[in-house]
Amino acid sequence: MSDAILDVRGLEVSVTAHPEIKIVRGVDLVVRPGEIHALMGPNGSGKSTLASAIAGSPAYRVDGGQVFFKGEDITAWRPDQRARAGMFLSFQYPTAIPGVTMVNLLRAALKARRGADVPAREFLAEMRATLEQLKMDESFARRYVNDGFSGGEKKRAEILQLGMMRPELAILDETDSGLDVDALRTVAEGVNALRRPEMGILIITHYQRILDYIRPDVVHVLVGGRIVRSGGPELAQQIERNGYDPILQELGLTREPAKAGA
Amino acid sequence: MTQAIEAAGAEARERGEPDWLATRREDAARAYASLPAPTPALRPWRYTDLTGLDFASFAPAHVPLQVTGTLAAGGYAGSLAAAGDREVVRTHLGSLLPPTEGKFLAANAAQWRDGVLVHLPRGAAAAAPIVVTLDASALAQAAIYPRLLIVAEERSEATIVLRLTSGDAPLVVIGAIEVIGGPASRVRLLIDDGWGGATSDFTWVRARLERDADLQVAALAIGGALFKQTVEVELAGEGATSAIRAVALGDGTQHFDFVTLQDHVAPRTTSVVEVKAALAGAARSVYYGITRVAAEAIGADADQANYNLLLSGSAKADSDPVLEILTANIVRCGHHATVGPVDQEALFYLESRGLDRRTALQLLVAGFFHSVVGELPLPGLAEQLDDRVAAKLATAAL
Ligand SMILES: Nc1ncnc2c1ncn2[C@@H]1O[C@H](COP(=O)(O)OP(=O)(O)OP(=O)(O)O)[C@@H](O)[C@H]1O
Ligand SMILES: [Mg+2]
Repeated sequence: MSDAILDVRGLEVSVTAHPEIKIVRGVDLVVRPGEIHALMGPNGSGKSTLASAIAGSPAYRVDGGQVFFKGEDITAWRPDQRARAGMFLSFQYPTAIPGVTMVNLLRAALKARRGADVPAREFLAEMRATLEQLKMDESFARRYVNDGFSGGEKKRAEILQLGMMRPELAILDETDSGLDVDALRTVAEGVNALRRPEMGILIITHYQRILDYIRPDVVHVLVGGRIVRSGGPELAQQIERNGYDPILQELGLTREPAKAGA
Repeated sequence: MTQAIEAAGAEARERGEPDWLATRREDAARAYASLPAPTPALRPWRYTDLTGLDFASFAPAHVPLQVTGTLAAGGYAGSLAAAGDREVVRTHLGSLLPPTEGKFLAANAAQWRDGVLVHLPRGAAAAAPIVVTLDASALAQAAIYPRLLIVAEERSEATIVLRLTSGDAPLVVIGAIEVIGGPASRVRLLIDDGWGGATSDFTWVRARLERDADLQVAALAIGGALFKQTVEVELAGEGATSAIRAVALGDGTQHFDFVTLQDHVAPRTTSVVEVKAALAGAARSVYYGITRVAAEAIGADADQANYNLLLSGSAKADSDPVLEILTANIVRCGHHATVGPVDQEALFYLESRGLDRRTALQLLVAGFFHSVVGELPLPGLAEQLDDRVAAKLATAAL
C-alpha cells in the first residue's frame, strides 16, 4: 500500500435510510503525511456526506469503493475504531449532548484514543494548555457538550477535542464558518500549532480566508458528488473571485446538487 | 386473620407502644383483612401484574433504620416507634395515608416497626442532610414495612436522604412516607434505591403542602425486580410548589411503575414532574400521572414530563399522562412523553471521538439523568450516579 494517510478509491455513498438518494458518486482522494488538502464545492455537492462516510457514520451507506487509512482498508470499520486509530472529524454542525460535560467527553475520548486511563492531573494539565492555546475559558469544560454554545463556541470546542486527541488525519468540515475574524485566526493558529509532520488535514471550506492561515497543498472541487477539478492553492483564490460558474461552464455542468435517484 | 388483628394490637402494647397506636394497628389489620387485593382493573395497577408474587410466603421482618444528622433544639430525627408519645406523631401519622385506602397501606399501618420521624420545628434548618439508612441485606423471603413521617413546620428546612439496600434474596418492601409541609417550609427528599435483584418495592409518598411550602422528591430506581412508587402531592396552600423527579435504570426483566398525582387545590401553585427511564435488556417502565387543577386553583403552573430511552430492542415503556383541569385561568399545564432509542446523532458524535458503543451509552444515559439530581443540594451526587450508571451498563444487555 502507498504511504498515504488517507486513500479514498472510487467511493460511492448513499443515504442509509433512503438508498435511492445517491450523494457521493465515485470519489478518489489521497492525502499523504504532512499534506493539507482543501475540499470546496457548491452547497449540497456532498462534501459533508463524504466526510461523514470517511468517518464511518451509520447514517450513510457505502455502495462502492474503499477507504484506506494508514494503509488499512477501513471501509467496514465502526466509527469509534477509526477514531481510535487516529481519525478526527470536526463537524460542520456539532451535536448538542445535554447532560454530558465537555470534561467527561474529553476524558472518555482521551482514554479511548490512548487505550489507557489518563491520570487526572495529567489530563487537567493538557486540557488547560489546549484551552489556553485556543483562548477558551476553563468554565467551558464544565458545560454540556455543544449545549447552548454559540456557533463560534461549537467550532472552538471541536478544535479543543482535536487538540487533545492528536489525530493523524483531521477532517475540518467548515470549521471556519461561524467564527469571527479574530476567532478564525486563533483557531487556525491552534490547528497549525497542533500539526505534526505525520499528520494529514482535509479542510472543507467555502472561503479563502482560512486557507490564508492553513495553506493547502492541493485544492479539490466537488460538484454533484464528484471531484471535478483538483489544483494548487490558486484554484481556491480563483473560486473566491469568480465562484463556481466558470468551472461548471467549462465542464458543461449545471449548478444543481446531487438529486434523489438522478 | 382475626388472630393476626388482635396480635397486631397485643404485640404493640407488649412493646410498650401507647394505646392509641396499638388501637390503630388493630384497625389497620381489620382494614387489611377486608380490603381486596389490587387487580389490573384498577387503573394505577393496570401495568403491574401481582399474580407471580405470593405475599403469604414473605414473613414480616424488621430492620433497624439508622439515622444520622443533627437538628436544632426541639427538633427530632430518629425512631418513629420511640417517638410514639409525641403529639406530632399522634396528629400526623396516617393522616395522609390512611390504612383504609388500600391493602398495602393497611398492611404497612398494621405491621410497621421500622419507622423514622423527622420533625422540624418552626424556623429550624438542618445544616447537613439527614440520612436514613435501611440495610436489609441480611433478610431473605421477608416482608418489611418502612414508615417515614416528615413534619416540617413553618419556614423549616431540611434535606433528607433515604438509602435503601438489600441482598440478592427475595424481599418485599411495602413503604409509606408522609410529608407534612407547613407554610414556607422547604423539604428535599432523595429516595436512593440500591435494592438487590429480587426485591419488590411498593412505596407510597404523599405530601400536603401549605402556603408557599416547597417540596422536591427525587427517586433513584436502579436495583430491584419490581419497583412501584406512587408520589402524590396536594398543593393545598397558595403559592406552594413541588417537584417530583425520578430515574429508572433497568436491565434484565426489571419492572418500574411510577404513579404521580399533582393536585393543585390552591391558587398560584406550581408543580413539576420529571420521570426518566433508560431501559436495557427486557426491562419495562410505566408512567401514569395525573395533574389535577381545581376550579379555585387559578394561576396554576404544571409541567409533567416522562422520557424513556430504550437501549435494547426488547425493552418497553408506556406513558400515560393525564390532565384534569377545572379552570381556564392557568399559567401553563403541559405534559410531554417520549419513548425511543438514544439520539443517533449524539451516539455517532461520541463514537466519532473513539468511544465504543457501550461507553458512549454510559455517558449518554448518565447525562440523560442529570436533570433529575441536579437541583438537590447534595454535593457529589451527580458523580455517584454517573458511576452507578456506568457500572450497571458495563454488563447490561444493550
Ligand atoms: N440523511 C440525508 N437524507 C437525505 N438527504 C441527504 C442526507 N444527507 C445529505 N443529503 C443530501 O445530500 C446532498 C449533499 O449534502 P451535504 O451535506 O453532503 O452537502 P455539502 O456539500 O456539505 O453542503 P454545504 O456546503 O451546504 O455544507 C444534499 O442535497 C443533502 O440534502
Ligand atoms: Mg456541508
